[in-house]
This record gives sequence, C-alpha cells and structure tokens, in this order.
Amino acid sequence: MSISTPGGEQHRPGLVKVGGKPAAGAKPGAKTTTGGGKTPPKGGKGGGPRKPITPIKVNQGRNWGPIAMFAAVGLIAVGIIGWGAWAAFKPGGAGYDWETRAGAIDGITHVTTELKSNHTYNPEKYEQDPPVGGTHSYVWQQCMGNIYDAPIPKEHAVHSLEHGAVWITYRKDLPADQVAALAAKVEGKEMMLLSPVADLDKPISLQAWSYQLKVDNASDARIDDFIGALRVNATQEPGATCQGGNTATGDKPLTEEQAAALQQQQG
Amino acid sequence: MTDVGNSPRFSTRGLALSVALALLVGLAIGFGVTRLASAGTPADDSAAAGFARDMSTHHAQAVAMGMIAAKKGNAHEVRTLGEDIALTQQAQIGIMSQWLRDWGLNINSDAKPMAWMPDGDKALTNGNLMPGMATSQEMTALENATGKDADRLFLEMMIKHHLGGVHMVDAVLTQTDDPDVLWLAKGMKARQQLEISEMQQLQTTLAKR
Repeated sequence: MSISTPGGEQHRPGLVKVGGKPAAGAKPGAKTTTGGGKTPPKGGKGGGPRKPITPIKVNQGRNWGPIAMFAAVGLIAVGIIGWGAWAAFKPGGAGYDWETRAGAIDGITHVTTELKSNHTYNPEKYEQDPPVGGTHSYVWQQCMGNIYDAPIPKEHAVHSLEHGAVWITYRKDLPADQVAALAAKVEGKEMMLLSPVADLDKPISLQAWSYQLKVDNASDARIDDFIGALRVNATQEPGATCQGGNTATGDKPLTEEQAAALQQQQG
Repeated sequence: MTDVGNSPRFSTRGLALSVALALLVGLAIGFGVTRLASAGTPADDSAAAGFARDMSTHHAQAVAMGMIAAKKGNAHEVRTLGEDIALTQQAQIGIMSQWLRDWGLNINSDAKPMAWMPDGDKALTNGNLMPGMATSQEMTALENATGKDADRLFLEMMIKHHLGGVHMVDAVLTQTDDPDVLWLAKGMKARQQLEISEMQQLQTTLAKR
C-alpha cells in the first residue's frame, strides 16, 4: 500500500485496470457511459443486447454481503455500548443506596460539615445533643447490642458511631414499656446500643455518624427506617467492630490511666 | 455502480431511522445481557441474603467471645483457639458483607432474625437471639470470669454457639445454589464441627489439669 501511495492519483487508471481485467478494453466505453447515458452502448464494443441487461443486474443484485456484515458489526458495537451504558446507569448500581433512603426519612437531620475523627482522653463539647460525630475517646463504647441502664460518656459513644453503630438514646422519663420496645430493637444486634440521656429535648433521639432523628414515641415507624438505612452503612471505618471497648456507664470518659487499666484487665 | 450510489433509498430520514433502531436494539441487548448476567443474584428476601445478614450477627458474637478468650484465657490452648475463631469469623463477616454489596442489597432488613429459615421464628431464644447465641448477661459473665473459670465458661459457650451456627448453615445449604454461599457455608460447617470436637476434648484435658 505504502509503495503505491506515492503514485497516488496518477496511478489511479492503473488501479482501475487491475480491478477490471476483462474490462481493460472496454474502459473508455465505461467512461462515456457516465457522461452520455444510453448513447454509448450503441458505440460500445459489446453487442447491443448486453447493455440494457447490465444496469438491471446491478440494481437487483445489491451487495447484501457487505450490508449484512456492516449491520452485524454495527449491532454488536451498539450492543456493547448499550451493555456498558446500562451497567453504568442501571438503578441501584454497586452496593445499596442507603443515603437516599436516609434522606427520605421525615425529620432527619444530616450534618454535612466535616466532623472531626481525632482521638482524645479529654471531655469534649459537641454541637449536637446528643452528639453525632467529632473528636472522641480512644476507646469506643461496647456496641454489641448493649443495653445501658444509665447514661454513658458521649466521648465513647461517638467512637461507636464512627464504627457504624446506631445509638438510641431516651429521656429518663420515658415510660418503661417504651424503653422495653427500644431494647427489643437493640438486644443481640451488634452495631446497636441503647442508653438514657440526662437532658434531652425530645423523649427519644437516634444517632448515627452525622445523622440524627428525634421522635416522641417508641412506636414511631421512622425508628426502624433510621436503623435500616444507617446501621453499619454510616460507618467511617468499614469493617470496624463493636466488641471490646468500654462497658462502664457515667458522664466522664475514661482517663488515660483508666483506659490502660481496662486493657490490662482484659489482657 | 454509480446508479446504486445515487439511489434515493439512502435518504437521510431512512438513515436516521436505522441508526435510532440500531441504538434501541443495542440498548435492549445490553439490558438483556446484563439481566442474564445478574439473573442468579439472590433477592432481598432470599435465604442466601438472610443467611449473610444473620450469620454476620451470629459471627460477631463469636468474635467477641474469641477475643475475650484470646486476651484472658488461662490455658494457652484456649487463647490460641479464641484468636483463631475471632480472626477467622471476622474475615468471614467481611466476605458475607461484600456479597450483600455485590447483590445491591442492604445489610439491614426489616425481617426478623431467621425469617429466611423454615420455622425460623421457633429457633429464636430469649426474644431475638439466634440458635446458640449467648445473652448479654452470659457475655458479661464471660468478660468478668478469670482463670480456669474463664476457660470453662468460654468452652461451654463456644460449643453451644458453634452447634447453633452449624444448624443455621444446614438450613442455607438446602435453600440456595449460589456457588459462593455454598462454598463458604460448607467451609463453616466443616470447620466448626471440627472445633466442636476439639473443644470437647479440651474440656476433658483441662478438667484433669
């Protein structure tokens, strides 16, 4: 190909010759066909009766081979594009769209500003009450479905939220049957914990990392919606666990010495 | 030849129609192939999905027990066994979580534990606890136990836990044909049965020590 290219257009006649061997002599005649229409057949080399047949043949014998081939190749190409397009934009996609489900819960609040994940042994002040994230203790609160009957240090609970736990809190005056209803949602379920809170503006408040929902009654259906959307899914540390950690109640986080003693006791 | 090239059949309208039709057919093929490729994906209420969720919770407690044994077991055999169980089952939780992600399913479900098992609700103990699971009081007792008591309690609780786990594995083996689920479930069953007899032997050994 590259060799013939330099010749370019000048060599074209030659190419035509090669392509139409038998037509070598008839070539001039063919050229005239384009210009003069029906006139040249008469002057052409071949016999008169042949000429009218030729155009009919061309029309009838359309080149189905290349057409079929291009159609097939085109279909396959478009099929591949379609497959890719569907795979990329199909509903759901990879994983589960928990954020949309969480956002659809009536009354839920979502903190979109950055929540710090630093560790400390100091007591912390939080913007949300109860907190939904921020600087927290080195030690997490055990969240293996633990039911705490007294308030727990926020600094430990926030660490559990970071691991993906849903922390259910209730005001101390919540009726016992409602507390039992909440406990039934927590018991035996890892990544869940329940505790009373000293001061709470609503009877019940649910927390996951960066999410909060406050409700008046344990029978509120949004509680299950909140757990369903956010338990584990809201984790800041995929694969983190709830076992171990602090199990003590109180309002002050473990000091460094206490945290060391906790590991000593377990070790 | 030139006659064909100028044929009115190659109108722009026809060309546009053909392209649009080809695109539609292509999308349909893409949709069909993708559907076929994911036809075997377990549904949200399938036994495979229920097993992945419930066995993760079941495993999570075994990991907690194993970690306690690994840290404060009295006999070295108990510490080693606790470490092995904790690490293995935590890794298996990871595998099962990824199944759910691959299947586009939520790790959480409104269904009760064991709902995927025939008569699964009858298998629940102490409210919502799955077969073999310890109550929170039992877990606290294990956390507070020391010395030989800790070993004895751990072996008792873990044997019971494994027996319940094998029961759940048996239930999924008859209800799914997902190759990944079958592979892991069979592996769990074989391993936990082996560990049950190992722990029973250890109980005898430690009683004499």
